[in-house]
Amino acid sequence: QERGGNNSFTHEALTLKYKLDNQFELVFVVGFQKILTLTYVDKLIDDVHKEFRDKYRNEFQQKGTLGLLNGTFDFKDDFLRLLREAEESSKVRAPTVMKTFEQSVKSQKTVKCMIETRGEKPKEKAKPKKNKGSKKEGTEAVTTSSKAAPGEKQPSAAGDREELTKDEILQRNREEFFKKHMKAGDKSSKSPKPDAQKEKGKKPRVWDLGNSNAKVLDYSNSTTNGNSEACPPEEFDPDLALGDRNREPGRLYDLEYESDEEAEEEKVIQNTSKPSTKKGGLGGMFGMLRGLVGSKSLTREDMDPVLEKMKDHLIAKNVAAEIAVQLCESVAKKLEGKVMGTFTTVTSTVKQALQEALVQILQPQRRVDVLRDVMDAQRHRRPYVVTFCGVNGVGKSTNLAKISFWLIENGFSVLIAACDTFRAGAVEQLRTHARRLNALHPPESHGGRTMVQLYEKGYGKDAAGIAMEAISYARNQGFDVVLVDTAGRMQDNAPLMTALAKLIAVNAPDLVLFVGEALVGNEAVDQLVKFNKALADHSMAQTPRLIDGIVLTKFDTIDDKVGAAISMTYITSKPIVFVGTGQTYCDLRSLNAKAVVAALMKA
Amino acid sequence: VLWRLARGGGSSRRAVLLLGLCDAGKTLLFARLLTGRYRDTQTSITDSSAVYRVGGDKNINVTLIDLPGHESLRLQFLERFKAAARAIVFVVDSVAFQREVKDVAEFLYQVLVDSTVLKNAPALLIACNKQDVTMAKSAKLIQQQLEKELNTLRVTRSAAPTSLDGSAAGAPAQLGKKGKDFDFSQLPMKVEFVECSARGSKGEEGDADFEGLEKWLAKIA
Repeated sequence: QERGGNNSFTHEALTLKYKLDNQFELVFVVGFQKILTLTYVDKLIDDVHKEFRDKYRNEFQQKGTLGLLNGTFDFKDDFLRLLREAEESSKVRAPTVMKTFEQSVKSQKTVKCMIETRGEKPKEKAKPKKNKGSKKEGTEAVTTSSKAAPGEKQPSAAGDREELTKDEILQRNREEFFKKHMKAGDKSSKSPKPDAQKEKGKKPRVWDLGNSNAKVLDYSNSTTNGNSEACPPEEFDPDLALGDRNREPGRLYDLEYESDEEAEEEKVIQNTSKPSTKKGGLGGMFGMLRGLVGSKSLTREDMDPVLEKMKDHLIAKNVAAEIAVQLCESVAKKLEGKVMGTFTTVTSTVKQALQEALVQILQPQRRVDVLRDVMDAQRHRRPYVVTFCGVNGVGKSTNLAKISFWLIENGFSVLIAACDTFRAGAVEQLRTHARRLNALHPPESHGGRTMVQLYEKGYGKDAAGIAMEAISYARNQGFDVVLVDTAGRMQDNAPLMTALAKLIAVNAPDLVLFVGEALVGNEAVDQLVKFNKALADHSMAQTPRLIDGIVLTKFDTIDDKVGAAISMTYITSKPIVFVGTGQTYCDLRSLNAKAVVAALMKA
Repeated sequence: VLWRLARGGGSSRRAVLLLGLCDAGKTLLFARLLTGRYRDTQTSITDSSAVYRVGGDKNINVTLIDLPGHESLRLQFLERFKAAARAIVFVVDSVAFQREVKDVAEFLYQVLVDSTVLKNAPALLIACNKQDVTMAKSAKLIQQQLEKELNTLRVTRSAAPTSLDGSAAGAPAQLGKKGKDFDFSQLPMKVEFVECSARGSKGEEGDADFEGLEKWLAKIA
C-alpha cells in the first residue's frame, strides 16, 4: 500500500520490518518476535540486502525473469552467517582503533589491482561513522559499521580480498568520463595509473571528509597494473566509500563486453555511483550531464525539492497536512534508487509516481456494490441495515434521503429509522422526505407496497433501542433495507461517542457509513480517527465493527480542492461509497478515482 | 513495406495476460509454463513477463505477463497492460470458488466491461486451476455460476450512481444482450473454459497437467 513511509508492521506476536530494493524490485522482510527488541534488525536487513544483491546481480541483469525463475538462490548459509555476525556485533563492541587513516594512506600508494568482492562483512552505511578497527589485521578487511565492529576472523578462503578505495573510484570515474567522450574502448587500468599518483595529494582530504571505508590491501597480491584482467573474476562489490546506498550499475551502453565482463561491470558501477554523493567537484558536473542523457538513479536529494513542491501543492488542494507528508514520504521511499529512463526528468517521474499512488489510494480495496449486497440479504430474508454517522451538519439526513431514492428506483423497499432523537425537527424532516418519496413512487406502481416508511418513536428516547425495534419491524414487514439516521456528534464528545458505539455494536448493521463533507480539511483526520477508535473501544466483540465506507458530501461546493477525499480514504483505507453533489434527490454520484486525481494534480 | 507497418500495429498486441484473484495460482502457472519446474511463490506485488515458446515446432513466441491479483494492485496493472493484450487467461481457484464467487465475478466483470478490452476483444480462457484437490469444482459448474453472477452484476452495476463529472465511464457497457440471461457466448470474444492444475497430481515433483492450457495457447498464438 501507499504507506511506505513506515517500514514496520505488527501482527499478533510478530513484528515485520521490510526494505525495498527499487532497482531490482526486491523486497526484504525480517520477522521477529515483538517482545524482543532486537537492535540489530535494521542492520541485518541492510546487510542481507547488500549481500544478496551483489551476489546475484549478474543474474538479475542478464537473465531477467527467466533467471529469477530458474536461479536457485542458495542464500541460506550466507544468511545464517550474517545473522550470527549481527547478533554478536550487538553484544560486543570492540574498542575503536584509529588506525584506518594510516592504513588508507598506505593503501593508496600501492593500489594496483582491481577490486574484488567485498568480504562477507557487512558494509558501511551512508553516514560517516566512527571507524572501528578490526581485531585481526593482515588479510582482513576492516569495515566500519554503524554499530559495532564485527571483527571476526575472515576465513580468507579466496585469499585476496581487496576493496576499492576512493582512489580507485576516482580513477574509474575519470576513465568513464574519458571513455564517454573519446569513445575509446580502453578498459585496462593502465591509463589511470598516472592519475592515481596525481590524485594522491588530494586523497587525504577527501578521506577526512568522507566516509571511510578503509580496507587493508593484501600486499601479497598487489602487482603491476596490468593485473586487472588476471584478477579472479569474482563477485565484486563496489559499494564503498561513497557510501551511497543507491548506486546502480546503470546501463551498459557504452561498454563493449569482453571476456572479462566482471571488470566491465565494475567500471560501470563506478560510473553511476559517483555522481550521487560525491563531495569532490567532479561528480556534480558528471551528474548533470548524466541526468540529461538518462540512466540516472534517483536519490533523496534529487527528489526532495520536487517532493516539497508536491507536498505544498497537495496541501493547497485541501489534503490534510500529515497525510500529505506521509504520502510524499512513501513516494520517496518507493522511488529511491530507481533508475530513470532516458529523457525523463526527476519532476515527471515523481509526479507519475505520486499520481499512481493517489489513484491506488482512491481505488476501493473491497467491493463497493451496495445493490449486490442488498440482493444477497433479500435472498436470506433479512433486511440490509445501513447506519449513517458523522459530525454535526455534514448532510446525513439529506444524503440518507438521496440514497433511499436511489434504492427505490432500483426496486427495493426502504424503512427509515429515525434514531436522531436529539435534534429538533429531525423526525419531521425525515417524515417529509418519506412523504415526498412516496409521492414520487406511489405504491400502485410497485405492486401495492409502500416503498418508503418511517419508523420513529419521537424525541428523547434511546437511539439503540429504536434501531433494534426498527430492524425487527422491517424483518416482520419484509422491508429490504433499513437506513438508520443518527444524530450528529462531535468526535470529542465521549458520552455521545459511547452511545453511537453501543448502537452499532448492539445492532450489528451490515454497513456503517461515515458521512463527511468535502470542505473539511485537517479535521477529517481527527474525526475519522476518533470515530474509529470509539467504535473499537466500546465494542465487546473480538473484531469490532469499524467504519465500512465513506460518503463524501457537498462535493459541488469545492471546485477542484478535492483533497478531503484523499485524506479520508488514506486514514481508513475504506472506499468512498457515494458522493453527494447537491440537495436534490438525483445528486448522488459514485467516485471516479482518475478524475479526482486529475483534478488534484492539475496545476 | 506499408503492409508490414500496418501489421506492425496489430502485432503490438502480443501479450497474454494472466489475471485472477489473489492466490489463484497465476504465478505458479507462469513459472510452470516457462520452466516446467515447481516453485514456491509469494503473493506477487509486481508484474513479471517473459517470452514463451509456443508448441514445440512452431516458432511463434508470445509474451506471458503475470499480473498481481491483490485488490489494490490489480487495476493499476491491468490499466498498464490491457492495450497489449492479445489474449487473457483468467485463472480461477476451483477450490475456493464457492466462497469467492462474488469477487471472481466482480473482477471478471471489470475486465470485460473495460472499453479497451471490448474494443480489442482478446480471446479469453477461464482456467479453473487447482483441479488436483478433490474438492475442486468442475469447469461446467464454474461457468454456470459465473454466468449467473455476472447476470446479477450487470444489473447492479448499471444501476449504480453515475460517476463524477459524467465521464466516459458514466454509461458502462452492457455485457451481452439485454433481456436475456447472461451467457458467455454473448460476448464479442471467444471464451473457453479449461481445467488445469499448476501443481500437478503428483505433488511438487511431478509435472503440472495443463495440456488444455498449452493447446489453447498454441491455438491463439
